Amino acid sequence: MNRKPLIVRSGMTRRQFLARSGALGAAGLSLPALLAACGGGGGDAYDVFFENWPLYIDPTEGETIGTIDRFAEATGLTMKYTEAYNDNNEYFAKIQPVLGAGKTIDPDIIAPTSWMAGRLINLGWTEKLPLADIPNVANLDDGFKNPTWDPTGEYSLPWQAGMAGIAYNSDAAGREIKSVADLFDPAFKGKIGMLSEMRDTIGLILMGEGIDPSTISTFEEAAPAFEKLEKAKADGQIRAFTGNDYTDDLLAGNFAACIGWSGDLFQLETESEAVKFVIPEEGGTRWADVMVIPKGAKNIANAAAWMNFVYDPEQAAQLTTYNMYVSPVKGVREIIAASDPDLAENPLVFPDEATSSRLRAFAQLSDEEEAKFDEAFSAITGA
Amino acid sequence: MSLVEAPAQRSRLGSSADRVGLAALLIATACLVAIGGKWVSGPLTSVVVLVLLAVIVGVIVLAWRGGTEARRLLAPYGLLKPGMLWLGLFFLAPLWSLLRISLSTKESRFDINYNFSWAFENYQTAFTEFGGQFSRAFLYAGIATVLTILIGYPLAYVIAFRGGKYKNVLLGLVVVPFFTSYLIRTIAWSTILSDEGVVVSFVKGLGLVPVLEALQIMDNGRLLNTPAAVIGGLTYNFLPFMLLPIYVSLEKIDIGLVNAANDLYSTNSAAFRKVVFPLSMPGVFAGTLLTFIPAAGDFVNAQFLGNPNTTMIGNSIQDQFLRQNNYPVASAMAAVLMVSIAALVLLYTRLFGTEDLA
Amino acid sequence: MIRSRTKVGKQLLNVLAGVALVYLFVPIIFIVAFSFNKPRGKFNLIWQEFTWDNWLKPFSDPGLTDAFTRSLEIAAISTLIATFLGSLMAIALARYSFKGHNGFNFFLVLPLTAPEIVLGSSLATLFLGQNFVDFGLVTIVIAHVMFQVSFVALTVRARIRGFDWTLEHAAQDLGASPMRTFWKITFPLILPGILAASLLAFALSIDDFIITFFNSGSEQTFPIYIYGASRVEISPQINVLASIVLFASVAILAIGNFSGKRKGSGRKQRKLARA
Repeated sequence: MNRKPLIVRSGMTRRQFLARSGALGAAGLSLPALLAACGGGGGDAYDVFFENWPLYIDPTEGETIGTIDRFAEATGLTMKYTEAYNDNNEYFAKIQPVLGAGKTIDPDIIAPTSWMAGRLINLGWTEKLPLADIPNVANLDDGFKNPTWDPTGEYSLPWQAGMAGIAYNSDAAGREIKSVADLFDPAFKGKIGMLSEMRDTIGLILMGEGIDPSTISTFEEAAPAFEKLEKAKADGQIRAFTGNDYTDDLLAGNFAACIGWSGDLFQLETESEAVKFVIPEEGGTRWADVMVIPKGAKNIANAAAWMNFVYDPEQAAQLTTYNMYVSPVKGVREIIAASDPDLAENPLVFPDEATSSRLRAFAQLSDEEEAKFDEAFSAITGA
Repeated sequence: MSLVEAPAQRSRLGSSADRVGLAALLIATACLVAIGGKWVSGPLTSVVVLVLLAVIVGVIVLAWRGGTEARRLLAPYGLLKPGMLWLGLFFLAPLWSLLRISLSTKESRFDINYNFSWAFENYQTAFTEFGGQFSRAFLYAGIATVLTILIGYPLAYVIAFRGGKYKNVLLGLVVVPFFTSYLIRTIAWSTILSDEGVVVSFVKGLGLVPVLEALQIMDNGRLLNTPAAVIGGLTYNFLPFMLLPIYVSLEKIDIGLVNAANDLYSTNSAAFRKVVFPLSMPGVFAGTLLTFIPAAGDFVNAQFLGNPNTTMIGNSIQDQFLRQNNYPVASAMAAVLMVSIAALVLLYTRLFGTEDLA
Repeated sequence: MIRSRTKVGKQLLNVLAGVALVYLFVPIIFIVAFSFNKPRGKFNLIWQEFTWDNWLKPFSDPGLTDAFTRSLEIAAISTLIATFLGSLMAIALARYSFKGHNGFNFFLVLPLTAPEIVLGSSLATLFLGQNFVDFGLVTIVIAHVMFQVSFVALTVRARIRGFDWTLEHAAQDLGASPMRTFWKITFPLILPGILAASLLAFALSIDDFIITFFNSGSEQTFPIYIYGASRVEISPQINVLASIVLFASVAILAIGNFSGKRKGSGRKQRKLARA
């Protein structure tokens, strides 16, 4: 007997409402009604709603039970989980008119990248975490305590962390890629991909220029990276600014090399041996996506129960084996070492001293400076 | 009021009912535009709402009391009213509010309120920073429009004059591809044109790469993420908007006329030039508008098939509006786009226009 | 000499038309073919091997199925509203001559001459900063009706232009009430036009991306889902559903073709009657 998935589909409530009140619409065209019937079933209610980045959680597949279902089993709480968080700026633009007007958005938890979390916290658009109800917060890795985006650590808990470096397709590139400078090699004209996430792209170029992105505070300090990017774009060096879809262009050989995220490598490896990920000689950048509770969320206590659950090292370890990102939870490595010693030794998942020392996080910028960065970057991406 | 006078008054009202109906419709629409466009605010809003209700009630009373003649005269306005009010509130009022926001500023970066302040600098930004995107939008849309004529006309001609009993089937075949999603079609092109894809391998196999590069269709051995790919995508996606109007105008042409022309001019090409083509001009005209306008505002093709140097104004509006929250500059760009397209359409209508757009 | 040249020209034209037709179908063949692909990773973009699995499980991508259902619902509701509003306008314009007739005619064309991005962004500015309605289902329906109304009105008007309105007078002279006249005489005659218009409106709604994108809030329609998915995961189910829509439209088109034939003969009869 198959397990019944406990994930509540998005928007079920409204759909059922429509199925009833909109029967007039369906009467004329029976297809919607038919499809609604096919996709239907399942209850309206959920206990907590998490809106996250896509492909960021282990699903239930056959014998392996996903984190959401394990959470339901352990706590009796049903989670609604959607993957509509595609882009920090885009998501912010969606929620700004709502939260800014003092209204609430539907999700109880979202996982913006740290800098965006910092912005939301500064704007007062997040709730304080009920840390007393999250005893497992004690398992938070020391490296993530009192971070720049949330100095008191009261508003956010990291979901996953990782690093940005260079991903390349050795078939398309025809050689090994080792440094940021390689991205600007004229031999790869029109074959280079950059990320539309400003901090990943500019951060890595800054590293290439020998400027530490964790210490900059003004636009002027980062200007060399913008100039370099601008020139490369004008020369036709850059093929596209992408989000997660860089993996697709990389596999197809459209990109010889691009800026990429560490965890994706493991997914890509299964599809093509030619695809590789390196932390460039000049060093790479670190990032974290962090869970916050939007202001006015309805299910704060249940959100706390979820955070407590995923900060249990056993649970976090399962998540890591799926995601292959850096876990912010202490004790995960020991658990994984027992089942998969190779993975436990992988510096991209469990960065050692040597690796960590080559990584920098992008500084938390003031609103005023950030505006300059964003404006300059969007002028270059040409959109 | 005496009983005797009443019928006379009724007929007077009745005969001018059309003027009343028209005025009521225009006033009601104006009220909605004023409210939706935030033209009025505070207590004035309630006044406008009251005027709106009063006008609607007034017309209903008039129709009820005014007799058959009045009802007949009011009928078209009554039929137009629901649709007009919808378009007033959700088409006209938004244009007004777009113009308003394009001249507004906000106090801080993440403020959600805009203060109207005649901020013409938004337009300055639109022109200085996004001039390239504007010109590319018009250039690409223009080339794509010409290409749709070149590709669509022969097909429309063959279907209309040589389709025979397969006419409807052929016409169906032309329309069918466009029942798959616009986005999926565009994404499909990005795969077809990719560097290791079928088309590039084929071109490489034929040794045509240098030729295509000389024609600036290929760039450094690639087709995808080039201006040509963006124009190609636009051409493909808007082809039916050109083809169908041309077909409709060709189909109206009496075949006897073509035969007569053939007899007169002795060559097909002359007959075509002097008879068929002029008669199909209304179709080409309508098709040009239906292709150029959406193509100039498109951002999907440039996003999936282009590179950072081929972005069009649609991409900029989308980015400023939906990623940067910069509504004033985005609105200014949209306003400029709208006005320049309107101007182009007017000019084009003057030059080649037929009397009836629809 | 001349004859042979024109013959070549004739053939050339046929070849050009054939090439154009093939061009139209290139991505379609690709889309349908890849609905049978078994991708190894997240992106269904490189041909791997043939499988029936995707067609056996067309709804196995819950987010996609939800978005698809949502799109059908939105299309159904907005088409209903737009058909009602637009048909009334069309009747007014085709049936009556009245003050401002040309002005309204012109006004109806206006929404078609504004690029989608202008319509979408301007409507979004209307919804910003007000407290009546949040971005979501309602705003999408409003937006769709907005651009559908003109299409419906113009299509219906074009279809009923040649309609013989004296029939109505005849019926009323024979003692039928205006209501009865409308339902018994007028409505059945204009119904094919209204149906054709509503089909067009439905198709426009299902496929609209740009206007919807500006007014959807966090609601996911089919095109919006695909847009999001194109950045992370393109499942073969997308191709399956796209193919289903394709085949369904072909079926509708085929049916429409039959009724079209009937209409054609009707037109002929009317022509004969007039003569």
